[in-house]
Amino acid sequence: MKKTILIAILSSTLLAAGCQGFLEEAPKLTQSSELTLSSYKGLDKAVAGAYSPLTSTNWYGAYFVLEAEMRSGNAKKSPAPFDSGRMTVPSDLTYNENSTSGLWGTAYFVISAANNVIDNLEGKVATGVTQDMLDNLHAEALFLRALAHFDLVRLFARSYAFDSNGPGVPIILHTDATGTEMPARSSVKQVYEQVIADLLQAETLIDPAYERAGVADPRSVVTLPAIQALLSRAYLYSQQWQKAADYATKVINNPKFTMWTADELYDVWGVEAHTDGEVIFDVYGKPSNSYHGQWETPAQMTSPKGYADCGAALDIVNLYEDGDARGELFQTDSKAPGHHWTTKYIGKGTSPHNTSNVVVLRLSEMYLNRAEAIINGASIAGVTALADINKITSNRGAAAYTSVGADNVYLERRKELAFEGHYWFDASRTRKGIVRNDYDGPAAKKTIAADSYMFALPISKRELDVNENLVQNEGYQ
Amino acid sequence: MKKIRLILTVLIAFVTSVAYSQSISITGTVTDASTGEPIPFASVLVKGTRTGVSTDINGKYTISAAPNAVLTFSSIGYTESDIPVSNRTVIDAVLSPSAIALEDVLVVAYGTVRREAKTGSVSTVKGEGIAEVPVTSVDKMLAGKMAGVQVTAASGQPGAASQIRVRGTSSINAGSEPLWVVDGIPVMNGDQSYFTNTGNAIASINPSDIESITVLKDAAAASVYGSRAANGVILVTTKSGKEGKARFNARAKYGISQLSNDNNFGIMNAEQLLGFQRDAAKNRMEIESAANKSKYDPDNAAGLYYRPMSLLDKPLTDWMDHFSRLGKLSEFEINASAGNQRGKFYTSLSYQENEGVFYGIDFSKLTARVNSDYKLTDKLEIGTRVNLAYTVANDVPMQSLYYSNPAFSGMTLLPWTPAYNEDGTHNINIPYNSYTNPRATAEYDDQWEKQYRMQGSFYLQWSPIKNITIKTTNAAEGTFGEGRRYWSPETDIDGATTLQSSTLQYMQLTTSNTITYNNIFNDQHNVRALVGQEAMRRTYNSYYIYSPNVDPAIPYPNTSTPADDEGGYDYSARTLMSFFGIFDYSYESKYLLQGSVRYDGSSLFGSNKRWGLFWSAGGSWNIHNESWFKNIKMVDLLKLRLSYGVNGNDNISAYRAYGVYASTAYNGYTGMLPSTPSNQNLSWELNKSWNLGLDFGLFGRLNGSIDAYRRLTTDMLLSKNVPQTSGFSSNFLNIGELLNTGLEFQLEGTILQNKDITWNAGLNIAYNKTELLNLGDNTEITYSGDSRLKHTVGKSMYTFYLKDYYGVNPSNGEALWRTADGSLSNDYNKGAWIYAGSPEPKFTGGFNTSLSWKGFNLSAFIEFKTGNKVLIVENRYINADGNQMSMNQSTASLNYWKQPGDVGVNPKPIAGTASNSYAFASTRWLQDGSYARIKDITLSYSFPKKWMDSIKMSGLKLYVSAYNLYTFHDVDFWDPERGVTGMGTGIYPMTKTIVGGLELSF
Repeated sequence: MKKTILIAILSSTLLAAGCQGFLEEAPKLTQSSELTLSSYKGLDKAVAGAYSPLTSTNWYGAYFVLEAEMRSGNAKKSPAPFDSGRMTVPSDLTYNENSTSGLWGTAYFVISAANNVIDNLEGKVATGVTQDMLDNLHAEALFLRALAHFDLVRLFARSYAFDSNGPGVPIILHTDATGTEMPARSSVKQVYEQVIADLLQAETLIDPAYERAGVADPRSVVTLPAIQALLSRAYLYSQQWQKAADYATKVINNPKFTMWTADELYDVWGVEAHTDGEVIFDVYGKPSNSYHGQWETPAQMTSPKGYADCGAALDIVNLYEDGDARGELFQTDSKAPGHHWTTKYIGKGTSPHNTSNVVVLRLSEMYLNRAEAIINGASIAGVTALADINKITSNRGAAAYTSVGADNVYLERRKELAFEGHYWFDASRTRKGIVRNDYDGPAAKKTIAADSYMFALPISKRELDVNENLVQNEGYQ
Repeated sequence: MKKIRLILTVLIAFVTSVAYSQSISITGTVTDASTGEPIPFASVLVKGTRTGVSTDINGKYTISAAPNAVLTFSSIGYTESDIPVSNRTVIDAVLSPSAIALEDVLVVAYGTVRREAKTGSVSTVKGEGIAEVPVTSVDKMLAGKMAGVQVTAASGQPGAASQIRVRGTSSINAGSEPLWVVDGIPVMNGDQSYFTNTGNAIASINPSDIESITVLKDAAAASVYGSRAANGVILVTTKSGKEGKARFNARAKYGISQLSNDNNFGIMNAEQLLGFQRDAAKNRMEIESAANKSKYDPDNAAGLYYRPMSLLDKPLTDWMDHFSRLGKLSEFEINASAGNQRGKFYTSLSYQENEGVFYGIDFSKLTARVNSDYKLTDKLEIGTRVNLAYTVANDVPMQSLYYSNPAFSGMTLLPWTPAYNEDGTHNINIPYNSYTNPRATAEYDDQWEKQYRMQGSFYLQWSPIKNITIKTTNAAEGTFGEGRRYWSPETDIDGATTLQSSTLQYMQLTTSNTITYNNIFNDQHNVRALVGQEAMRRTYNSYYIYSPNVDPAIPYPNTSTPADDEGGYDYSARTLMSFFGIFDYSYESKYLLQGSVRYDGSSLFGSNKRWGLFWSAGGSWNIHNESWFKNIKMVDLLKLRLSYGVNGNDNISAYRAYGVYASTAYNGYTGMLPSTPSNQNLSWELNKSWNLGLDFGLFGRLNGSIDAYRRLTTDMLLSKNVPQTSGFSSNFLNIGELLNTGLEFQLEGTILQNKDITWNAGLNIAYNKTELLNLGDNTEITYSGDSRLKHTVGKSMYTFYLKDYYGVNPSNGEALWRTADGSLSNDYNKGAWIYAGSPEPKFTGGFNTSLSWKGFNLSAFIEFKTGNKVLIVENRYINADGNQMSMNQSTASLNYWKQPGDVGVNPKPIAGTASNSYAFASTRWLQDGSYARIKDITLSYSFPKKWMDSIKMSGLKLYVSAYNLYTFHDVDFWDPERGVTGMGTGIYPMTKTIVGGLELSF
């Protein structure tokens, strides 16, 4: 009997001791966050993964760009049979708290993925892992975080020029694992300061030669010139003209980038990946991307072989003089005579889910940024706004300018960067209104007045419902 | 020769009657040996005859018997006693209370208990009669059998699993199915197949191997199963051998089945449909401008709806008839059992083949079982329970509104579309049915699952000293499945092929170890104490290959282009570690107390909430054992029970607590992205249940019980929206609350019992009400499976949320909706959304009766549900008011508006106007789903023993049985049973089956 009791006690002690391990069943097909973020290898994959949502349809994978074009009047809705209804809200500007851009969720997701990396880099130097390697990851994460904040504040807030102290978006620098924090909106100015601070830090951290290895498109990864180019644009948007010009100059002087010529221009949009030319940073398109938008990629939305809801308005089609290569970047289809679509997403021909890379930063924009900055008072030795603008026209087969003012730069920007998601935000930050002549929607939406509340999109109800510190934008309350 | 036989017969009859006339009259009183009280309704039988009487309320009897006869005295709960008459005319009998008789023992958690000693709410069914019912699995047999155990078929397809709800639905995001425990070991349940829905794990148990089934309903009964007990526990005990000579049983049965259709539901024949469509087209012409009229003229060959009368001259097809057939069922089984004082065994082998009522569907299984028990020494016993099964399920696309679903396309294909091409092959050139013909699909395509299942357990029981038993049971259970889905060139208009292949594997290992102490002190204090430990580990994995364009001559993955193949792999594992104890105490069988505790650790939950404590306490009072109650003779059992307990629901998928990164592909590179947020506080849902019950037994022939319960689910798992600035959209949190309250009533009795006839009947009724109390931040959540069902605070678990359809406008035949302000509108968009009722029944139950006369037995069983709504989604397509001109329509649609003043009819059909009269979310398709179903009627005949003795057999039974013979209901469809959500879109409807069989014992 004594023996029995002894065995019983012994075995239950052993069991209890073994329990804790027995009950650990970690997932095998995914990796715990702790493990992912515990080594250079995991952090490297976490950075690579953080790029992935850039191809979400909420962002550069379609609607962030295409809806901006639709609102701006560069794009117009297509007639039947290309009227799936996907472009009605941006065309009619009927955004409301239940129907608004999904960028909020996607961009903050990338911010949290970047923050997870940034907060776990310390102490990861090990055999074969140098501080420089960690710094490069750090720079990539900072760039992604900056790009996300920048696009959020452009989309959901009024421009810096309109009211730099107005409500921007929440700045998130550390991931809230509990999901209980309710961050309030920082001011537009604070958001720009954060974006610029992240980019400046990234600039100092990154190895000038660093380019993520093993990728299909080396222009779709963060590099020193990509950081500098985004800095130029962030300074431009926040009216820090001299710095905008300085950073544009750094990129312009980088021999890696060359202007596309008029002859090249039609064919540069459908390539698999750029190895030369203008592209500084683009978002790689491919059906194998986890976030690939299937039938809603820009290639599908602007191609008569796909949904094709996003047509080109005559306002932009007719904007180019004869001989301007940019005027040839339109296609038509016999099913909708007289209607046009851009060819900037002509695609790589991968059927059935045709796709294309989406350009985010390219060399022409740097010349345009610098020209605008110079007109606003910046100065760069040996450089004039006129020369910068003519650098573009001369490569497009367009007539050279003899003198240049703010309106010329503005027009050239529209011509050059059409369908790349710029014009709406340029109209907002320069406080110019928008007139949509070739427009069939409600008459009241034909013209968008300068400083209209519509330049900021509403924050979604689901977000307002769970964060009592968020305030809805004016005009949507 | 015949004459001689006749004379002999008469002579024998005469002699016999003379012999009987010599009997004497005997009187006496039957009393209880322990109390001296008379025993009413005790049975007094002349041994070896069928002559018998009952004692009256004072225990007195009078009987005639031969002076040399022997009288047998018996009563439930007493040991039988034989007393020779020996020429006496007064014989008083004294009966001793019996040791527990077999039928008085209930299988409960980790043991058995005398029925009289139970404190929790449990229901049981016996294995008898199970073998005759023509179903593929035991879950189907529980429908309507036990109060508060609601069994709903989600499909009538052979091999499909049932949905079982014990005392209502307890959860939105965790499971609501009960735990199945077979011979003491929790087993896997539910559908385990990859491409079909006929992988019911419970089907591997051969129903005729089952000795008894007990359902533990309240916390007192179930809580010792801890974190898995919240939805009730079903305990299945399989047969063991019995002491005595070897017994063999052979069974065979054969049956046929067909679709149920007891409410005269039908689809139009060609003539009806043509008339209907021509009217619809003409109605369209009426509203068109003169210039447009011809476009809609049914006689215009260039028009949109060209429906000339000559269509009737073409060969016509009754598609439902073309897709369906008489189902066939056959089953063969042989079992053997034997035993002596040391060892017992039971073994069985059975084969069942079930051909569905639609072409392409069948289900067959082979099962084998060995149950053995052996006493190694007086103190040591070992035994095994081993069950093996092989199932093959052939399927076609069912359970949704696929064009290739025969249950749907059979109703919608147009009768003038030919079934065959001129060369005799199946016609698949049917553009409006997406170029599919389900008959071709059934013939050429594959969709199947083949599975091996095994359940094996081994126990060792040691009683080192009196009163103590130590038992260890160790079990392994596995399912190995292979699946195939092949789309052949014969069923593809372009002749393409697609192959999908799968393998899957479930493994579960369990060890269960208990020590039981049992003792009686001073003949008054009865104590049972049990402590135990259990551990379980279950893994699942599957491989999947997608192979497009395989060579039709060799339709296997090896002939596709490797570059086009896609593969998939899934894996999960879960573990559970438990420590538990049960303590029972009773005082003089009057006052009983029971407590249980379980401490469960689970890998499914967050590290902060890995271990949970569950417990229950119950008490019962056997009022009939009080001395002051003994005078009330008509009541032989009166017992009051009260219990409370807390148990858990761990029925969620693995790894929900882990914050993980999952792989993501971008830019030709595979990176990692956050996938789920870490949730270290994730925990089980809790059920806190009260139960108050009363058991009674009257006149020795009537038993019943009444139970009232209150079951509160707290910590219900819900997805709570979180700010997206955190990087995620929602967290899975324990935040909701749900209440089930109900009443259950169960009554069983013997209506008539004499020497030739026994007539028993039973009735059970259960009422349950579910109310959602709290959904965290929300007041309403849309049901994940269909937006027409809502989970709404203050309402039932499921509530239909639909537009309020009024009917037709008597003046013009337009569909009308009630609007929010109470007026009527012909605009669907102005119609009010209303909460239109719940698919959950208010009352469920069953009625059974059994009448025996000599060797004949007739039994019937009726199951019913009332107060539930069903939404017949298919009806939208077959009552489309002219909106579906390329689908056949229901005959109910013939009753449409024709002239002003018509009311209670369908809207005026107008071809192709895309009117919203047939909109999805409309109360027009909502109907009262109440039904009463004659589930089973069985007539059997057992040949008399003396006949059997003469041919050296011990028994032969013949029977015929009808299953789902007739259903009383008001639903405009084949059958009213539509699953727990009342929607059952595109399901294989219920079937009715008639079988005949025989059972031979030797």
